[in-house]
Amino acid sequence: MRVAVTNLTFGYDYRTVLKDVSFKLNSGDFLAIVGNNGSGKSTLIKCILGLNKVPQKRIFLDDVDITEFKNFRSIGYVPQKFDDFNYEFPITVNEILQVSRYNNISEDEKLELLDKIGILELQNENINELSGGELQRVFIVRSLMNNPKLLILDEPTVGVDKTNVEGFYKTVNELNKEGITIMLITHNINESKANFTHLLSIHNGEAVMKEITRGDDE
Amino acid sequence: MILAANEPFIFALFEYSFLRYALLTVIIMGFITPLIGSFVVIRRLSFIADTLSHFSLAGLSIGLFLINILGFTFISDPLYLAMIFSVIGALFIEILRGYYQNYKEISMPIVMSLGTALSALFISLSGGFNSSIYNYLFGSILTVGNKYLSVMAITTIITVFLLLIFYKEMVIISFDETYAKLIGIKVGRFQFISTIILALVVSLSLATVGVLLVASLMIIPVAAAMKVGKSFKNTIGISILFSELSVIGGLWLSYELDVASGATIVLINILILVLVVVFKNLFVSKRLKNTQSDIMTK
Repeated sequence: MRVAVTNLTFGYDYRTVLKDVSFKLNSGDFLAIVGNNGSGKSTLIKCILGLNKVPQKRIFLDDVDITEFKNFRSIGYVPQKFDDFNYEFPITVNEILQVSRYNNISEDEKLELLDKIGILELQNENINELSGGELQRVFIVRSLMNNPKLLILDEPTVGVDKTNVEGFYKTVNELNKEGITIMLITHNINESKANFTHLLSIHNGEAVMKEITRGDDE
Repeated sequence: MILAANEPFIFALFEYSFLRYALLTVIIMGFITPLIGSFVVIRRLSFIADTLSHFSLAGLSIGLFLINILGFTFISDPLYLAMIFSVIGALFIEILRGYYQNYKEISMPIVMSLGTALSALFISLSGGFNSSIYNYLFGSILTVGNKYLSVMAITTIITVFLLLIFYKEMVIISFDETYAKLIGIKVGRFQFISTIILALVVSLSLATVGVLLVASLMIIPVAAAMKVGKSFKNTIGISILFSELSVIGGLWLSYELDVASGATIVLINILILVLVVVFKNLFVSKRLKNTQSDIMTK
């Protein structure tokens, strides 16, 4: 998916969070977004996800103005925290994945995904009995289930142990090779071992885009 | 209550049609209330049932005032006004929830106090408490007839039908509203429809357990099932089982002891909850003990 952000200024009530942010991504680009806490990274992501309402002609997804964009199911998203998820009521990993499934990936593909992310054995477990890291991996699988064209990851591997982090980035790199655009908020671009093509540094709401030659990131 | 228990419940069932209606009604209610209650609990809106039942009481009081004092006999049953008021209350809640985005729960006490104030006003205007108000406060399933049963059955069929069609959407919205918005589900629309259904079921439950205890019918079986459920569907199934036990048992006790059905149903519900919590704790501590002794023997 192509993503274009042009002169985006956004804020909440009295505070301006993003100041005149512009950048462009082509299909298959892999963007790392870095910046301090409160710099505006998550706000930018929420704008692109349509969760923050932005004016017309500021964000375009596959050349469609986001105010008219309909196909949000083609965007996979892993948030930083799951405060919004009511996980104390019993529901199994399989059940939550089942209701989140919109594009017809086969049962085998689903099992393959669970295996790749290292939670195959957890599929019949109740979500309220999982650890934070395990829960995070469930949502990583969910974000990948609907064959996303754009994958947005907000520090997705915080609390996930090293082996599974590697498995996750391996999957992300593979998806990226297939042409899926990826945007990843990260604190440590070296740790992630991902094949970034672009780096967006946000500081006090102002963003600077830099291209990275593949292979430079490790 | 209208009839002293001179013969056992089971024989009386064959003899009296009103008792059969009552039994069928509680069986339907025992099914639908925890089904809806589960979604209410997940969304942390347990207080909404209480709010709506108090608002329904305003409808009932106005209904009784119109029928008994002003002689509007074309209103055959004040329960219809209770249903209308419950829906109006639900609409008020939704409007206020939209208005106070970050303090959504404010809507509940506002609507609840309006409902209670209106109830107090019209009960006073109708000459204070009488037996029909008492029945609506604490439930009197034995006085409801087949007309009520059919309204209940229709509401249940519509609810189950909608739930089967929109199962995915309802589950996603309940568990993860942000994700639901993200994948383009019209969250507001679904919430609106589910609140209306909730309002109807609340007002229909009034006759069984009464205004003051409606919420318990929706919440307590779910609260107990949550502690033992192995999955989402399993938890809902268990909550329906607990609920059926309490409504059928409650109806039987209400008949045998000649007391308000709301009291017996809710007390059985609470008993089940207590048993579940006690047995679960015993089970968990026994398992931990066994694990500990296994480690020690190794």
